[in-house]
Amino acid sequence: MWDTVDGMPVWQGGKTDWAAAAQAAENCGAFRADCEEECVADDDVSCYNCRFRRWTRDSFVCMKERCL
Amino acid sequence: MNLFLCIDDTDDLDSIGTGELLENMRDAAAARGLGQGGFIVRYQLLIDETIPYTSHNSSMCCTFETHDRDALTAFCQSYLEANCAEGSDPGLCILTNNSGLDYTVLTAFGKRAQTEVVSKRDAYAAAAAFGSDVSLSEHGGTGIGVIGALAGAGLRAGRQEGRIKGKLHPLPGRPTMTAGEFAALYALSQLVDTNGQPVDPQRVLTFTEPTKAVFRDGMVTGVVCCENGVWKPLPKRKKEKQ
Ligand code: SF4
Repeated sequence: MWDTVDGMPVWQGGKTDWAAAAQAAENCGAFRADCEEECVADDDVSCYNCRFRRWTRDSFVCMKERCL
Repeated sequence: MNLFLCIDDTDDLDSIGTGELLENMRDAAAARGLGQGGFIVRYQLLIDETIPYTSHNSSMCCTFETHDRDALTAFCQSYLEANCAEGSDPGLCILTNNSGLDYTVLTAFGKRAQTEVVSKRDAYAAAAAFGSDVSLSEHGGTGIGVIGALAGAGLRAGRQEGRIKGKLHPLPGRPTMTAGEFAALYALSQLVDTNGQPVDPQRVLTFTEPTKAVFRDGMVTGVVCCENGVWKPLPKRKKEKQ
């Protein structure tokens, strides 16, 4: 579900692939919940609700490698 | 006098979010006897690779009724300096909330900040064009948060749509209620469907998942949807991102 752009993992599922984003976060181990007002998915654990996702125009980039 | 308080760029990956910081600041100001604050609206700003932000780029704005603007301003400034995340770039905007004022220049600035990259210089120019009813201040780092702070205040003053901080939770043991009861229970000023049409107050809603209110047309607004013939408050995942 990830592309690599400029060395960074870019989510291929856009902003509404709810099930896959939840599954990816379950499998990740680095998930950290963002603050309530920035969480957009109903699934508590989801890349869409993670502090390490940085939104782009069409999707998001996972910043965990850069932040941890 | 009524004011808009808006802050931005107060957080980092380990700190509380900007919305929670504003909530705490608002409540601390009230506890000091400086007045009473209102609900918080979140405004999405431009998502662009060249803009430094943590996991999002949004600003937070609430209203505050006070008898002492100067004391409130000083309190907010020192609160931000003491409580913003180290390494963040906080900005504060305090704007008079008065229906007699023409907010066009500030709302236009807010809309620009949602669609293009704007600079601190642009923010100060817009504030100067508006005049003495608005103040901007920087409280650490690059102070670039003044851009979002002014943008959020301008959007709120211009009654632009944003998400209201906090969730509306279903009541235990009460999975259904009419739309009219739902609006009254959660202090919603209007209830619309996903096409923006008013909802019949007699329509029965199934309310079993948390939802969020939005600030729309200057009002606290609930949104409902119809799924498989069942009407319900819009669950989060049915919203478009931002
Ligand atoms: S966004 Fe968060 S949960 Fe998803 S892969 Fe990155 S660190 Fe893990």
